[in-house]
Amino acid sequence: MYALGESAHRDRLWPVLLASLAMHAAVVSLGVLRRPAPVDMSQKPIIAKLVRLGEARPERWLPRRDAPPPEAAPPAAAPVPVPAPAAATPVALPAEKAKAAPPRPASTASGKGDDALSRVLSKVRKEQAMAKETWGDPSGSAEGTATDASEGNRYLALVTQALQSNYRLPATISEQERMHLGATVILFVEPDGRISNLRFERRSGNDAFDQALERAVRQTRLPPPPPELVRQYRTVGLGVHFHM
Amino acid sequence: MIRSVAVTLLFLPAVALAQRAYIDLGSPDFRPLALAVPAFQASPEAQAEATDTLQVLRDDLALPAVFELLDPRSFLADPREGFAASAIRFQRWSDVGAEGLVKAALRRDGTTLAGELHLYDVRAGREVLYRAYKEKTARALAHRFADDIVQYYTREPGVFRTRVAVVRRGKGTREIVAFDADGRYSEVLYRDSNILLLPSWRPDGGEILFTSYRGGKPEIWGLRLSDGNVRLVAGLGELSSGGVYSPDGRQIAFTASVDGNSDVYVVNADGSGLRRLTSDPATDTSPTWSPDGRRIAFISNRSGNPHIYLMNADGSQQKRLTFQGTYNQTPRWSPRGDLIAFTARDEKKVFDVFVVSPDTGKITRVTQDQGLTNEEPWWAPNGRLLVFVSDRTGRPELVISNPAGDRQRVVTTDASPLANPAWGPLPQ
Repeated sequence: MYALGESAHRDRLWPVLLASLAMHAAVVSLGVLRRPAPVDMSQKPIIAKLVRLGEARPERWLPRRDAPPPEAAPPAAAPVPVPAPAAATPVALPAEKAKAAPPRPASTASGKGDDALSRVLSKVRKEQAMAKETWGDPSGSAEGTATDASEGNRYLALVTQALQSNYRLPATISEQERMHLGATVILFVEPDGRISNLRFERRSGNDAFDQALERAVRQTRLPPPPPELVRQYRTVGLGVHFHM
Repeated sequence: MIRSVAVTLLFLPAVALAQRAYIDLGSPDFRPLALAVPAFQASPEAQAEATDTLQVLRDDLALPAVFELLDPRSFLADPREGFAASAIRFQRWSDVGAEGLVKAALRRDGTTLAGELHLYDVRAGREVLYRAYKEKTARALAHRFADDIVQYYTREPGVFRTRVAVVRRGKGTREIVAFDADGRYSEVLYRDSNILLLPSWRPDGGEILFTSYRGGKPEIWGLRLSDGNVRLVAGLGELSSGGVYSPDGRQIAFTASVDGNSDVYVVNADGSGLRRLTSDPATDTSPTWSPDGRRIAFISNRSGNPHIYLMNADGSQQKRLTFQGTYNQTPRWSPRGDLIAFTARDEKKVFDVFVVSPDTGKITRVTQDQGLTNEEPWWAPNGRLLVFVSDRTGRPELVISNPAGDRQRVVTTDASPLANPAWGPLPQ
């Protein structure tokens, strides 16, 4: 038997409980009915890097690679001597015309004013700017290597680095299959960075590939997540799209 | 307590609704496929051809950079062990790291060379591919084998039987020369004492368009490869240049300067139906077709500097694509449609090759600090490789590269300057 006061108190809580149940039902329905966006496996991977601390490279300039391409391989072998040309259709050859170059767009004048000193100073600044080899972002990191801040936030960049170092595929997966394999794994990360659990959100269909992913994840120790993300990474998890 | 529980339950959906972050992880650490290609077996009269075929095949397979060709000196198995899978000691091949094994046998058949290709999966211990061909030369046989091997592993066509047309400048002459994709064999297709430039292929490979001064001013001519005949295709205004066929071969886009204004035009392949696509007072030039034929990319300096623009094939919806750099030129749309390659001059006044996404406008650099000039890129017909001209060796030579620029190979060693490469179509 309940006391009268307690009964009234409990009666006031019922609407709250009912409202909570209704909200839960709505969320579950939303999750069941809404189709997840298809994973675009043709999308290039985003390799996250720490942004270098420094002055931002002018946006209008063409991009530069952080590392130049490897040296090109030389030609395979000496070429076969060019054979005598095949009998070409006889044509009358007029006298050679004046060599007019193909049309080029008119260049834009870039005067910076009439003052000679300001022109000189502008030129000096421009040369100094172009002599810089490294660009960064004023909010970057002293240990950063990326030129701009568009390549991911700091923690996800560290997670990416840690997983990438263990992302190794066995040679038994044929070249043919490698072109099309991909899977999505959800990692549950503890406050100390330990991966306590993982599950496949989408398997690749190739057991060897999936097993390799599982090994890669279990071998990886992540850094502790930022305090504001600890709860999310422990309960909701962090998704990783593995692909080629 | 019940109140606490109720309040907690109220806010639980907020947790469920929290967005999960995703990261992309690609480029796994895996080795290129290790292939063992031992010496080919051959009948006595075909020994020399067998050696040539083997060398050409090895050079071909090194080009796309998806294979690692093992050193034959490390092989433990007897290469004469036969072709039946039951007779092959696959463990010996596995011991040297081979994942694929290529064997071939050649013999003379009259005036032709008959060759059989056998490809094995070493780990599975079975044959996975068999092909037999008859060709006139060892090179042709080797290119066939290479195409088949690439097709098997990558599910995409190989390009080893294609050719790259290029303008070569000699003493008082200009030539259109066709190099094999590996740059080792060349054939002069056309020679003239007049300036000629900007060759481009018809999609079926039967004709090459080129710009020539042979008529007294720059005009577009067509060279029919079957008999060497040339025809005037378009000669409009003061100059016409840079003709390129649409992917279906029915139309030709080109640049023409009329009354001093350079614009993009389109004409039917037979010369009829001329129509003007651009009319801006600025210089509009260098059209290139999208692989579906619905759009054209071109260069315009209407903003003050030359940049890449896109428009529909009828000239509508013209919009600017590139906003970086001050001198962007020579756009070429990939057959895969995902990228447009182009030449650009950077802030150091060096010309390099770049690619830009037609969807997002994001520019990626292909060459950097590799000579003063890397220019005029053209796509392989499978859209996986680029050819361009580079002066990194001291004179303009052809370089083949993947779009990322991290696998480049100088493929020619010609004594004369080369320019304006145009990669031909796949064999019909």
